[in-house]
Amino acid sequence: MHRLFARQRAQATTPDGGVDLDMLGRLVTEAYEQTERDHRRADRSITLMVDELDQLNRTLERQVAERTVALANRETELREQNLRFDAALSNMSQALLMFDANSRLVIFNKRYCEMYGLSPDDIKPGMLLADLLHRRQAVGTYSGNPDEYAVALKAMIARGETFNTSIELPNGRTIEICNSPMPDGGWVATHEDITERRRAEKVIAHMAHHDSLTDLPNRVLFQERLADTLLHTKNGNRLAVFYLDLDNFKAVNDTLGHQFGDELLKRVAERLRGCVDDNITVARVGGDEFAVILPDLASLDDAAALAERICEAIREPYDLFGHGVVTETSIGIAIAPDDGTLPNHLLKNADMALYRAKADGRGVFRFFEAEMDATIKARRALENSLREALVEGQFTLHYQPILNLDDNRIPCCEALIRWKHPERGMVAPGEFIPVAEEMGLIVAIGEWVLRQACADAATWPNNTKVAVNLSPIQMLNAKLVPVVVGALAAAGLPASRLELEITESVLMQNTEATVAALHQLRSLGVRISMDDFGTGFSSLSYLRRFPFDKLKIDRCFISDLSKDDESGLAIVRSVTALANSLGMVTTAEGVETAEQLDLVRMVGCTEVQGYYIGRPQPLKEVSRLLADNLPRQAKSA
Amino acid sequence: MQAVPLAWNVVSGWQAQGEIPDQAGLVLYFGTREALANGKRFAELRDMFPGAHVVGCSTGGQIRNNDISDDDIAAIALRFDRTRLRLATAPASDAANSRSCGESIGRALAADDLAGIFVLSDGLNVNGSALVAGITAMAGERVPVTGGLAGDGAQFQETLVGADFAPRPHVVAAIGFYGKAVRIGHGNAGGWDEFGPRRNITRSSGNVLFELDGKSALDLYKRYLGDEAAGLPGTALLFPLRIYDPKQPERALVRTVLAVDHDKGSMTFAGDMPQGWVSQLMRGNFNRLAAGAADAARQSVAAFAEPGGSDSVAILVSCIGRRLLMGQRTVDEVEAAAGELGATMPTLGFYSYGEISPHGPSGICQLHNQTMTVTTITEAAR
Repeated sequence: MHRLFARQRAQATTPDGGVDLDMLGRLVTEAYEQTERDHRRADRSITLMVDELDQLNRTLERQVAERTVALANRETELREQNLRFDAALSNMSQALLMFDANSRLVIFNKRYCEMYGLSPDDIKPGMLLADLLHRRQAVGTYSGNPDEYAVALKAMIARGETFNTSIELPNGRTIEICNSPMPDGGWVATHEDITERRRAEKVIAHMAHHDSLTDLPNRVLFQERLADTLLHTKNGNRLAVFYLDLDNFKAVNDTLGHQFGDELLKRVAERLRGCVDDNITVARVGGDEFAVILPDLASLDDAAALAERICEAIREPYDLFGHGVVTETSIGIAIAPDDGTLPNHLLKNADMALYRAKADGRGVFRFFEAEMDATIKARRALENSLREALVEGQFTLHYQPILNLDDNRIPCCEALIRWKHPERGMVAPGEFIPVAEEMGLIVAIGEWVLRQACADAATWPNNTKVAVNLSPIQMLNAKLVPVVVGALAAAGLPASRLELEITESVLMQNTEATVAALHQLRSLGVRISMDDFGTGFSSLSYLRRFPFDKLKIDRCFISDLSKDDESGLAIVRSVTALANSLGMVTTAEGVETAEQLDLVRMVGCTEVQGYYIGRPQPLKEVSRLLADNLPRQAKSA
Repeated sequence: MQAVPLAWNVVSGWQAQGEIPDQAGLVLYFGTREALANGKRFAELRDMFPGAHVVGCSTGGQIRNNDISDDDIAAIALRFDRTRLRLATAPASDAANSRSCGESIGRALAADDLAGIFVLSDGLNVNGSALVAGITAMAGERVPVTGGLAGDGAQFQETLVGADFAPRPHVVAAIGFYGKAVRIGHGNAGGWDEFGPRRNITRSSGNVLFELDGKSALDLYKRYLGDEAAGLPGTALLFPLRIYDPKQPERALVRTVLAVDHDKGSMTFAGDMPQGWVSQLMRGNFNRLAAGAADAARQSVAAFAEPGGSDSVAILVSCIGRRLLMGQRTVDEVEAAAGELGATMPTLGFYSYGEISPHGPSGICQLHNQTMTVTTITEAAR
């Protein structure tokens, strides 16, 4: 009997031993139902579970499929990345090594083998740094102690430090090595061949300290050397600094062009070098400025002798591209410690001495003297004042009448510049014009004079002309013609009323450009006069080079004129005759007496100018004079 | 130690299987809520055993000898010779207080010679996991804690616990056994079979579960229950959940449902449902459940190394879920357990809403569900 049924029957058994069939039936039915219910639950559970598991299975299958594809893609990516990494590694210009925390080689590239002459058998991943260095030692590309180096490097890496060094290989190459720690305790070493870079650095350093044209030391290096030499000049010893420049370099540059200028500088540099021993510093410190350090000077005579030698050497003619060129150098010399112990101070004093040398006639040398300082300072002050004068309108023009002897009229007045300095009062043109010329300021001043003179002349009656002096520097200026045209146009003055006076020195420069400019001006109608004739070379040949309108005979011929001075009279007469024969008007300058006036009239001069005729006077006065158009003195004569 | 079983029914009143001991220290009794609610049975026992702690609870069926009864009250009177007892009780207002409730009981019972604790707790207003953790935290991990949560048949409306007072809801009672003589054995086993996919607990709070694998857990149960979903929460006991921390899969627990909230879509379990743990549905097979019960009994008596020199008692606490599933065949598991315990050992117990016992492999006391828990008590020979 089934255990369950036995229990059911026991439960349905009544106290009297009978069986309650109803109860038994209920119990059995309930048991059946329970079992059926359990079967249904099991069925349902299993069905649902199978469903769920099936779905899960599909999801998993899909995920596996997706991940398989992703994995394959990732593998491809990784493979490509590895290829790229490999390519990058093998094509690096640097050698690269990677070590792990145990100093074992993980990665290296081909460049490393090439750099150190290692064969593929010499180097293998997994090998120790020390062993690698032993291999390099064997092929002669490592000269230290491999074991000590490996230990020291590992210690630095362990402290997280980067270790940089550079080594020279037996083949002359320079290698820079950089060891950088990695987070895992290993490190990356890069080896770079910096030979070319070092060479370039040397070239750059040379360039930074040398003049590219002459390859002489430049100002920077000169000052370093000077400072160094001063530092090493023992007590009691002396040192000389030469400061020199070329006397007419600007003219060479302006007239022949920079190519010639540069070539001249090169030749000068060569000659300078030829004058001194190799251990003596010769530097180019500016455009046409050079400097020399003469150490351990035994006596000033030695410095003088060298200066003399240099002057002579530079003075020798140069053949530049077939042109004969002559130049001269002036030299200023400062002595340490006498004239200063600091580089800048010495250079400044040598510069002052140079200034003096140029003032003293050029082509010479001068030692620095204390009073030069004061002279130079005064000169600097004048230069500064001059610049101010132009800006502040301190210049004025005075006009000196010129008398025509034929009709006793005044056909022309010469414009003469006057400078009223606010503190010094009137400054003579002879004092400031040369300075303005040296400064180059004459160009601007000359332009002002031209414009002012034209403007003033435009107010004059009877077509009275105005004569304006041109400085040689102005003549060299390429803008001269436009400036003249501009001044005429601004004033509304006909070109025929302007006379430009040039001196012989202008023609001495004798360049194509100068002559061309004069012709151009003349073709405009401007008249050109030869001024101060007789003060220069008084070469009559100049008169043939350009068809001047007028010849002005210098005052020096006139001031000594007397009835008894036959030779003087003869000169003036012959010059006048020559001029007249060439179709030029002649003007006698500096006529101060009635006698002089009579004499120049007698020898045939066309015009006269001088105190006797009329002093230079302000515009207002000359305007009044012109209104009458009869000079007082002439009237009385 | 002397152990005298007692039974009560409407027809015969209280009947003892042997001479009622004079100096009984502890009387345990188990009956349906209906049988205990009026307090008369407690009053009668109080009269019969004036010097004893009288402790009992409502159930989902009583186990007495080798049978299960819904009508009879099962009781036992225990007289200890060399063992001191202490009773502690605490109010169990709601599941959120269970930890502090457990701690107060643990504190009340803690002592150097505390040999074991037997707990009877309210079955509906307690988070059993937190309760046991609280007790263990105060009494010490070495002290075995056994017992169960009171039941209310398949109705899940109200559970009662009495402890020297008439049984009432919202009570936790615990008896501490002290001294070197007492021997307490324990065993615990389920016998349920996991089935279907493993699911992650993706949303939960304490012992309230919302979602598994991001989907409503209640819907899952309804789908599996089919027509029987109408019987929720009771029918949810047919499918317990095996849960484990993915970091410690060997320490799996079984959780059973106490209540469902159709509005919130939540299910309240007898113990914690930690978020991030893994769960798997279980279902029972009659034979394997019975075999599980036998296993629990075997573990329990294995603790008795020396032959018992005195009476002993076995207290069986089995899950109501097992009974709901097995129906008339539930007796199979009681018989199977009894077979392991031997014919002379008196057994009694009840069907509960949760079982308390040390976890087999780890020894850590925990709340279990859907298991058979066997606690054996005796005193060593002099």
